[in-house]
This record gives sequence, structure tokens and C-alpha cells, in this order.
Amino acid sequence: MASTRDTANRIGSVKNIQKITSAMQMVAAARLRKAEQRIEALRPYADTIERMTRQAAAAAGDVPQLPILNEHDEVNNVGLLLIAGDRGLAGSFNSQIIRAGVRAREETLDGGQDVTLYAVGRRIDSSLNFRNMAPKNAYTGFTDRPAFADARDIAGELMANYIDGKVDQVDLIYNSYVSPLTQVVTRQRVLPLQHAEILEGGLGEPEIEAAKGMVEGQVPVGEKVAPLWIYEPGPEELLKRLIPDFVEITVYRALLESAASEMGAKMTAMRSASDNAGEMIQNLTLEMNRQRQAAITQEILEVVGGAEGV
Amino acid sequence: MATFPIEVMTPEGAAFKGEVEMISTRTAIGSLGIKANHQPIMTMLEHSELRLHMEGGEVERYAQGEGYLQMSDNEALLLVEEAIPATELDVDDLRAKLGEAESRLEGAEAESAAEERAKKDVARYTLYLAIAES
Repeated sequence: MASTRDTANRIGSVKNIQKITSAMQMVAAARLRKAEQRIEALRPYADTIERMTRQAAAAAGDVPQLPILNEHDEVNNVGLLLIAGDRGLAGSFNSQIIRAGVRAREETLDGGQDVTLYAVGRRIDSSLNFRNMAPKNAYTGFTDRPAFADARDIAGELMANYIDGKVDQVDLIYNSYVSPLTQVVTRQRVLPLQHAEILEGGLGEPEIEAAKGMVEGQVPVGEKVAPLWIYEPGPEELLKRLIPDFVEITVYRALLESAASEMGAKMTAMRSASDNAGEMIQNLTLEMNRQRQAAITQEILEVVGGAEGV
Repeated sequence: MATFPIEVMTPEGAAFKGEVEMISTRTAIGSLGIKANHQPIMTMLEHSELRLHMEGGEVERYAQGEGYLQMSDNEALLLVEEAIPATELDVDDLRAKLGEAESRLEGAEAESAAEERAKKDVARYTLYLAIAES
């Protein structure tokens, strides 16, 4: 049986663990706030790119034929980009992406199509390698703080592979961020890019208020007019660069949501670890008191027994 | 001189918001200067040194990534991949990135997408270094 001293030592080490887990919980909470802010910061940029694209498409008359907009006649190879974290200690955050990815891969293979895997996060990369499903490329080292440049690299490779016909479709699988407590595994198509997604909300050049002397004698001052826009280079050329931006933004948003989800999952996991440690400390303290009481009773019995013997 | 509002947006947040007298940057076609009451324009920007001329002659300099400029209703909007104030550029970090991009360029297959990207990165970091050192 464990002595009182052993139990006291165990309480000490559980207390140390609790200190570490609650520190990790606080770090995760602080990083979660930053991750949320980055999602917020992206929104106005993404909205403006959308608005500019609609305007350029209106000026061009239509969306030009770009390779990333063309659906391939046959889908023989499906690309799956699995996004999760570099580190563990985040509950089921990494494992549920692995599970969803492996299931999606099996379903696709059963359907007679090939699968190309891409991994974001060291955890995903190593689990895939462990299962003999080595990804075509793995991007690691930034999952807790993704930069737009990371998304640009990933989107660049996905688009190049799509255009070269190495893959005929690309889906993202990631934890989309709902709240610190809730992350939802999401599968989202990125390639081929859908026309409807770009031109949602219709076409149009923005109107502006007529100013004095702007349109001589034709429009009353203050009335809305459609100005003559300069496009440099032409709207078709602008679209050729604006449309790939959608893929980059989609990937970047997925990375940001995954980062926020990771911090949320980590926070929750560390909170329950701290709670468990607290419970364990309580139980161990009771146990230690019982042991001490038993030792005291034992000693009293011995003293009494000894006194009677005299 | 008349000023006008400008907002410089990046995917990571706003880099600048305020009133300027003139914007100077570079498009796919050539250098571009924008002053107040410019005709509505939408254009594609190459990576370059972005100069914001403030009222009173002060000039703020940024290392600016690729993006777009839209001027409408006397309000300018710059959407760029990044806009780093010249004072915040890290020369050592840029040198390291340039070296990495150069070695990628050497190792890249001829006429591949990877080569294209390495070339772009070399050009970008060379320019950023020049901005940091000027």
C-alpha cells in the first residue's frame, strides 16, 4: 500500500500538471482571440475583391474562359486538402480531420476514382505517412498563425496541378469555426471554381454622385451617374488575376478558421484536463487523510496495547 | 494641395487609412501617380514601393505586394497582398528569404510553374531589400 508520503508526492505532481494545463488554456484563449480578429480582418478584403470582380466582369461583358473555371470532362483524380494542426493536445481536432479524410478517400476509391492527398499540419502529414497514404505535398509550420503567403503557396500548387490535369477536382476538408466550443468538419469544393460563386449578386459598375462641372450641363449636381471608368489593363486582363484570387482567399479563410478551431479545441481540452486534475487532487487528498488517520489509529492502538502490557 | 481619403487593405487587415495628397505606385503597364479627383480607375498593381504623399510634404513608404487599385468618387482603395512600412522591414530576414528563393530558382525545372514563382519571389525580395536599404 502507498504511504502517506507517496500520496503527497502524487498530489504534488498532479498540481504541477494542473498548473501547466491551465497555463496552456490561457495561452490558447489569447491566441483564439487573435485568430478571430484575423478572420474579421479578411472579410472587408474578400468583399472588395468580389465587388471588383463583378465590376470587371460587367465591363468585360462576360467572364473569360480560364482553365480553373473549366470543368474537366471526366473526374479521374480527386484532390483532397486536409487541414489541421502542427501540434496535438487539442482534443479530437486533428483526429476528426484524419478520420473524415480517410473516409472521403475510401469512398472516392470505391467510386473508381484516384485520390491525391495534400496535407496542412505536421499531425496530418505524419498520420498519413503512418497509414501509407503519403500526401503529394505537406505544408507545415504555420497552422497556429497562417499568413496569406502560405495560402498563396498552397492555392498556387492546387491551381497548377488542376491546370496540368494532375487532378480534376479539389476539395478542402477542415474544421470550420463556429464558436470556441464548436468546430464542424467541413468539406468544400475549391476547384473547378464555380461561375455562380464569383458573380453572386449580379454585375454592375458603381454609380457616383455627379459633381459640379463633371458632366457639363447634362446631369443635375448630386444625381447618380455612371462614370466612365479607366481599366488598366483591360477588364479581361484584370479578371485573369482577380479570379485566381478567389481560390487563394478560400484557402486562406479555411486556414484561418482551422487555426481558430484549433485554439478553441485546445482551450476546451486544456480546461477539461485542468478540471480532471482538480478532481484528482481532491480524491488524492481524501486518500492521504485516510492514510494519515489510519496511521494515527494504529499508533494509538500500539501505545494502548503497550500500556496494558506493563 | 487637395487631399483625398485612401484605404490600403491587405488580407491581414488595414495597413493604412487616412488622407493623402498623392499616391505613387506601379501598375502592370508602368508607374502611376494618383491625385485628388482622378477619373474613376481600376488597375492591377505589381509589387513596388508604395509612396503616400501626406499633406505638408511628408512621404510614407511601404514595400507593397501585388494587388489592385480602385479610385471612385474621389476615394482610393488599394487591395494588396501586403504593405509593410519601410521602417519595419527586416533586412536580415529579407536576405534569408532572397537566398532561399534564389536557390529554389536554381533548382527549378525550366518553364515550370515553380520556376515562375521563384522568379517572382526573387524579384520581390530584391525590391524589398532595396526599399529597406534606401
